[in-house]
This record gives sequence, C-alpha cells and structure tokens, in this order.
Amino acid sequence: MKLFTKLTLFITLSKMAVVVLFVLVLPFLVEDIAYKYNDFYLREQKKKVLQVIRQNGIDAYLQGEENYGSYTMLKEEYISLEPAGKMIIPDTIATVQRVVEGDTLTYRVLSHILTDHQRPFMLEVGKKTATISQYNRPLQRVALYVLGGLIIITILIDLIFTRLLLKPLGVIISTRLLNRRFPFREQASPVKTSTTDFRYLDDSLVELMTKINEAFEKEREFTTNASHELMTPVSILQTKMENLLVDLEPYEEPQKKIMGMMKTLNRLKKIVHSLLLISRIENDQFPKNDDVSPQLLVASIMEELEHRLEEKQLRFSAKLSAEQVLHHLNYDLIFQLVYNLLHNAIKYNRDNGSIAVSDELLPTAYRLIITDTGIGIGPHEIDTIFHRFRKVQKSTVEGYGLGLSIARTIAQYHNIQINVEATEGKGSVFILTFPLN
Amino acid sequence: MIIEDERAMATEMDTFLKKAYRCDLAATGSQAISKLDDNTYDFVLLDLGLPDMDGLQLLQQARKICPDAAYIILTARGQLEDRIKGLDLGADDYLPKPFSLLELQSRMQAIARRKFALQDVIIPVGDFNVDLQKRNVYFEQTEITLSRKEFDLLSYMLLHKNRPLTRTQLGEHIWSNFADDDYDSNYIDVHIKNIRRKLSAYAAVDWLQTIRHVGYKIKI
Repeated sequence: MKLFTKLTLFITLSKMAVVVLFVLVLPFLVEDIAYKYNDFYLREQKKKVLQVIRQNGIDAYLQGEENYGSYTMLKEEYISLEPAGKMIIPDTIATVQRVVEGDTLTYRVLSHILTDHQRPFMLEVGKKTATISQYNRPLQRVALYVLGGLIIITILIDLIFTRLLLKPLGVIISTRLLNRRFPFREQASPVKTSTTDFRYLDDSLVELMTKINEAFEKEREFTTNASHELMTPVSILQTKMENLLVDLEPYEEPQKKIMGMMKTLNRLKKIVHSLLLISRIENDQFPKNDDVSPQLLVASIMEELEHRLEEKQLRFSAKLSAEQVLHHLNYDLIFQLVYNLLHNAIKYNRDNGSIAVSDELLPTAYRLIITDTGIGIGPHEIDTIFHRFRKVQKSTVEGYGLGLSIARTIAQYHNIQINVEATEGKGSVFILTFPLN
Repeated sequence: MIIEDERAMATEMDTFLKKAYRCDLAATGSQAISKLDDNTYDFVLLDLGLPDMDGLQLLQQARKICPDAAYIILTARGQLEDRIKGLDLGADDYLPKPFSLLELQSRMQAIARRKFALQDVIIPVGDFNVDLQKRNVYFEQTEITLSRKEFDLLSYMLLHKNRPLTRTQLGEHIWSNFADDDYDSNYIDVHIKNIRRKLSAYAAVDWLQTIRHVGYKIKI
C-alpha cells in the first residue's frame, strides 16, 4: 500500500473513531451538565427564599397555617415549607416524586432545614425533571453538527498537507525508480523539496545511479579496448597467413601447415569473439526493438543448418504457430540463441536421429521447445552445461563450450527462461520461455 | 587508399590488394587527408582506430574531399554503434576485424559492381557461364539450378580464382559470424561434391580442383 493511502486511511479512521466516541459519550455529558447546572440553580433559589423569609418573617407566609406551598401554573417549579423534626440534617438534593394537586410528578428537589423561633421547618425547592433535560437533544444535535464540520475540515487540511508533503517522494519514485531502463542515459535534475529526508534520499539515489553509470561506461570502454587489443594481432596474423598461403603455391606440404595454423587462429578468433559478445550483451550494448516471429526465425536458421542434417541423416520437424510474434527482442541475438541450441541438437545427435521444434502458448508466456535424440546430458553435468568452457564430456566432437554460455547470456538479457530436461543416451529437451508483456 | 595505423596490417593488405589495385597507404588521419587532397581514389579502406583523430570524423571529412570514392570501414573496436553510424555517414560497407583479405576483396568487388558498374556480371568458367547478377549458372542456354549456398561458394571461388582456398576461409564467407566451431566437419566438401555432380552432368569440371589437405581452387 502506498504511503499516501496509508496516511489517508489513518487520518480518516482515527477521526471517525473520535466522532463515534463523542456520539456515545455526548448524551451522558449533556445530561450531567444539565443536572449540575440545575442543582446550582436550586441552591441559588434556596438562598433567595431564605433572604425573603428573613426580611418578611416566616409567619407572613404561613399565615397561621402549619404548611406553605407555592408552585407555578404548569407545576414546573415549587417551593414548600412544613414543620420538621428536631434533628439537624445537611442540605440534600435528590430526584423524588411529589404529588401536586393529584398529579404524581418527578422533581429534582433541594431539601433544607431552617429554624425560626426554635421551630424547625423543612424548606423544599423543586424543579420538574422534564424541564431540566428539555434542551439536551437540540444541544446534542448542534454539538454533533459542529463536530462533524470540524472533523471534515481537519481531514481535508490533513490530506492536502500530506499530499503536498509527500509530493517530492512521488517525484523521486517516478523519475528515479519507475520505468528507468539501465543504463541511465539522461541526467535527471534534483527533485524540489524542503524535506531533508527526501533531499538525502534523492541525492543518494542520484549518486548511486551516477556510480553505476560510470562503472558501466568503464566496462564498455574496456570491451572496446579489449576488442581492439585482441583482434588487431589476430587480424595481422590472419592476413599474413593468407598471403603466405598464396606465396607457397604450389608446395602442398607447407600449405598444409599454414592451413593448420589458420585453423588454430580461427579457433582463437571465435573464442575471443564469443567472450567479447558475452561481455557486450552483459554491458547492454544491444538494442531490444525487434519483433520476431518464431516460425520465420526457425525457418531461416534451418536454412543455414540444413546441410548439417544430411550429414547424419537427421529428421527435422517444426510445428510452430504462424501468427505468434514476440516483441522487444534483438533479432540477431535471438537468432544466435536459437541457432546455438539447434546447432547443438544436430552436433550431439546420433545418426538417423531426429529434432523437433514445437511451441506452447501459456497465459503469460510463450514456450519454444527443442527436442533432440542426441547423447543427452548426465545428471551430474546438467547444472554446469551453461558454464563457460564446459562441454559434454563424452562427446568426441571438438568444441569450446561457449555456445550454451552465450545462449544463457542472451536468454538472461531478454528475461527468457531457459530450461533443460535430458536423459543420458536418449536426448535432451531445451525449453525457452519468453515472457509475454 | 588504405588508412591503417598498424604497419604490419597495412603491408599485408597492400601485398594482397596490389595484385588487382594500385594502393596508397596512410598511417594517420592527417596523412590521409593530405593524400585525399592531392589524388583521387576509387576505394578508401578506413580503420576507425587512428592515433590522431576519430575515424568517423575522418570519414565525414574524406567524403567531402573525395565524394565519389567507395568507403569501407575496418575496425577492431567491435562497437555496434560504429557500424550504424558509419553506414549512416555514407560508408559503403563495414568489416569487423579480424577479416579475411578474401572477404575484403569480395566486398570491394560487390561495391564495384553496384556502385561503378565496372565488373563483368557474366563470368565464363570452363564450358559454363556464371551470371553474378541473376545468380544463375548456364551451360549454353540451359540453366543449372544450384542452391543458395552452392552458388555463394562457387561465385566466391570464382572471384578468387587461381588461388588456394581453405575450408575455413570458405566456411567463414558462407556462414559468416555464427560460431561454427567444428571445422573438421566436411560440410564444405558436401557442397563442392554437389556442385561437381550438378555441373558434370553437362560438361567437365576439371577447373574445380581439390588441393589435398588444404582445400579447393578454381584454375582458369
């Protein structure tokens, strides 16, 4: 998951959690505040009542009777005075039921004991509970709206800021890491950011890329120089021998010796050529822009190799789909790869044997399968056949074991998987798996 | 003109080519330019690895001075870009070192045919005529069918007639740079046998000689 997505999720979820918590707690909170405020109100009322009684005297209210009671028209509040026992109790506030004019109603009641001329009276100041919580719901609703609005605004601000903050990281990823094909030819300009972490990351990446590029360029220079230094003497020797061969006419014995030398020199030439080819492929010196039809490819390779089939009376068959085309390959290299495999299939085959080329289309890959009836490969050798300078030991055929090594290098260069299944003495199957995308 | 800084290499090319061409040598880029200023050349064989200047730059300059010449790039650097750039800059052909002198001459002949239209396209050999343009062999009016490889082999030998050619040299021309490592194989002999069989049905092919242990020669 991307960092921005993670942060977005975190910000949104955490704020949602706050909202849920608030919604759960809010009714209790509002209720609590309403009651506390009401209790405070009752005490204030009590103080006023006591003050009024002190001014006017209690008898002004009792008017000769035992009790006094007063309530508002809708019975929302009441004040009552009645004689009490001798004991002194502190003020209490409680939710209790009172019967007022036949109606049983629930009140929040403050009880106070006051003494007037040695007579204790119980003063009660009450307020109907229904009126206490009458504003709770609207209050809650308003509080929720305000909170919701605030949460949405903060989420938006957070997301905009996060996006701005992470933008340089996105630029670093898209310009430095994604879709970058090695070697990094174009020199990228530094990413604009004031975040030191991103600055450091970007600088380090650019430095690494420059280092890789330098090493890569050095290697390229080396292969060029090595090629020049190795091929020039070989070239001189070859031309000298060619001229010598003509000069020696018509003496067959020395001519034969020159020919032996030319053959050896040719072997040297091929080895150097093959090693340089491997280096150049590994140095990414071949463009991969060609479309290749496996069917046409095998056909043109077999045109080159046909004469070799006759030597051993080999039967050759190719069953390949005509419309399959593979993209992003280097034709010459793929030619060489398949050529080497087919060439081996002929070279290591038995007389009157056969070679079959077939293909297979998988959902994400294309397979080219080359089956021969040759000497096969022993189980202890199968892991080393792709190594440089290895050849199948039992073969009497002269070779330098670079053919398969080149094949493997070309395959790796194109992300082609190369697999071998072989039975010693029965034959080998080489499978090339081309990725399709 | 042969522009080549390796003296030994230049000498061998000169020795080989002077049987058919008049050759001039230059070891550096500046030498080459002053010679190009003074003379006209049909062929300029240009080594890219010169001590005093970049070979591809020299190619551009040389083509301005001497636009009618055919240019062949010779290089041991083995850079693919060299080939592409060289041909883009107007070179007529490109030969990576080490090359066979026979191959060089055959390329020069091909360019001469294409560019200067100088060469005879129909070459008589024994009682046969070989048409290099149409890639056919005729006995009187009868067309004799040879496979592509057989014709390549015959025309190459014809070009280098009266010269012993080894199986390696012939194989290299026909199968070029594909790593054919087993030269003891007799595939050249198979082709020669086929050519002899097809042609001898019409007339004698004693001009196609076998040189024991060495190779073959067309003697005319």
